[in-house]
Amino acid sequence: MRVAVCVKSVVSKEPKNVKGPFVPRSPDQCVLNPFDRPAVGLARELAGETGEVCAVSMGPQTAMGALREALALGADRGVLLCDPALAGSDTLATSRALAAAAKRLSPLDLVVFGTRSADSDTGHVPPQTAVLLGLPLVSWVVSAKISQGVLSALRAADGFEEKVRAPLPAVVTVHPKVPAPEEPGLADLDAAFDKKPLTCWDLAALGVSPGQAGQAGSPTTVLSMARTKAGRSCELLEGSGRDQARELVRRLKDKGLL
Amino acid sequence: MDVFLNEKNRAVARSVRRFCDRHIAPIAASLDAEARFPWEVVEKMGEAGYFGIQAPVELSGAGMDTVDYALVIEEISRACGGLGLCVTVHNSVALYPILAFGTKEQKERFVPDLATGKKIGAFCLTEPNAGSDASGVEATAVEDGDHYVVNANKVFVTNGGVADVCLIFARTDPAAGRKGISVLVAERGAPGFSVGELEDLSGMRANPVSSIRLTDCRVPKENLLGRPGQGLAIGLAALDTGRIGIAAQAVGIAQAALEEGVRYAKQRRQFGAPIASHQAVSAMIADMACQVEAARLLVIRAAMARDAGGPFTKESAMAKLYASEAAGNVTDMAVQIHGGYGYSRTFAVERYWRDARVTRIYEGTSEIHRMVVARSVMEELE
Repeated sequence: MRVAVCVKSVVSKEPKNVKGPFVPRSPDQCVLNPFDRPAVGLARELAGETGEVCAVSMGPQTAMGALREALALGADRGVLLCDPALAGSDTLATSRALAAAAKRLSPLDLVVFGTRSADSDTGHVPPQTAVLLGLPLVSWVVSAKISQGVLSALRAADGFEEKVRAPLPAVVTVHPKVPAPEEPGLADLDAAFDKKPLTCWDLAALGVSPGQAGQAGSPTTVLSMARTKAGRSCELLEGSGRDQARELVRRLKDKGLL
Repeated sequence: MDVFLNEKNRAVARSVRRFCDRHIAPIAASLDAEARFPWEVVEKMGEAGYFGIQAPVELSGAGMDTVDYALVIEEISRACGGLGLCVTVHNSVALYPILAFGTKEQKERFVPDLATGKKIGAFCLTEPNAGSDASGVEATAVEDGDHYVVNANKVFVTNGGVADVCLIFARTDPAAGRKGISVLVAERGAPGFSVGELEDLSGMRANPVSSIRLTDCRVPKENLLGRPGQGLAIGLAALDTGRIGIAAQAVGIAQAALEEGVRYAKQRRQFGAPIASHQAVSAMIADMACQVEAARLLVIRAAMARDAGGPFTKESAMAKLYASEAAGNVTDMAVQIHGGYGYSRTFAVERYWRDARVTRIYEGTSEIHRMVVARSVMEELE
């Protein structure tokens, strides 16, 4: 089994004082997209001990951190698609780069994605990549197994569950309710930094023309980004049920509501 | 962004924080209230490598450096001081001396189970009459064939209630004074080995601190660590490393108090505004943040000095002294920001305040560390 898992580096903190559509990134504020954690876990599970899982991400050098996290969570190797010409890619240009990487990594049995990203949240990239690769897509998968070249998956959607079968190779998106793998141990982190291979591919390595990448290859453009004002806020209390109830009563009393 | 940390250091800290947020922080208050040692979490910490942070990979450790070690301890302590204490003592003054002074056979016998948390380690130096003056040890170990017969009354043993592998400091040559003290590895369950009642301490209540008594306990000579009479040197070497861990623990507690202080100050309104906007409170927040950052830098420097392979006694003493006193100041200010609520057990800062207090006492008091630092500085500036 050869599996590619496509992951994204997202900013971990709310961007402040952003001018224009681009969010400045620094290594200490970039993390693996949380929706990709279960995807890495399922990729590892389906590949088994003998299979190979390659984590792929497109982004600047700061995205290396997210790939290292994917390696610590079980991927065997990582590839960063990194080229100044990729900057400003919309979801279609991103999908082209990822599809080109998948072709270069072929033969692959599976290409796995998280359902969406925690930042831009479009959910476009997995289906677009599947189309560009000409592969079947099974989305929102909660569990899957592979037998004799066929993927059997259970997918969750809107209060229902579907059992789906698809021939390999295929593209899969993993439902957020699939538990993320346990936090990696120190030895896994050590391996992610010092033992497992991580390489960079530029546009030339991908065989993508500059006109198909980055802003030049993007039919859509983000013009601006501004925070919307929420009408109400929500705070989750922590602790046991009893502690939470006690804290809730105390707060209501503090506000003179009880 | 901390410019002194590399990408791997930051990834380790982030990962341990996620682990602690998931498994430790939600139960930390109840561990304190119930004075409970959470085996169910300790098992997971063992699997994650937190009990063998710097042990070599071939002995089932994680093979990390001292900076990573300090970051792991800081993050665990940010969630729960008592568990941070368990992990730092286990790694630094129980496991490290076996790695540094043990024979190949001793390492193969003890390290894999310690490094994976299957067995917990303890450092048994303190006695009713031997604290800051470690040379006052009264425990004895008398040779008898291929064994030592050990009689010891050790008090305030961190991890004492759960420790399987205990480093016992005892006199093997009563006439030799400081050079007559040796270290023996005693194992729980041996005839004559008994654990006393758990101490009812003000803070660090998740840690089962107890006395340990050995009564005519026969410890095989093959369990002697290092050479006969090398005990104090082993102890001091272990404490040099241990102090980096205690300093990191103090930083973790102080960081937690800073975060809670800021959160509360932004949320609590008096005189028609969040108290964070009042100058007196914001000055406290500035002082807290400066002390936390300064303490962390001293810890990282001490850890880097150790990793560089040179002497680091002064650096670890400075880090331990400053970080423990900073933790005292910062947790006190966090209580002050909380006002009356800060004095209530309902709020986490009250626990941080109690937990921080002992960091100025154990593994060398602030007074001892001032002596160590002053001696080093005066030697340097001769």
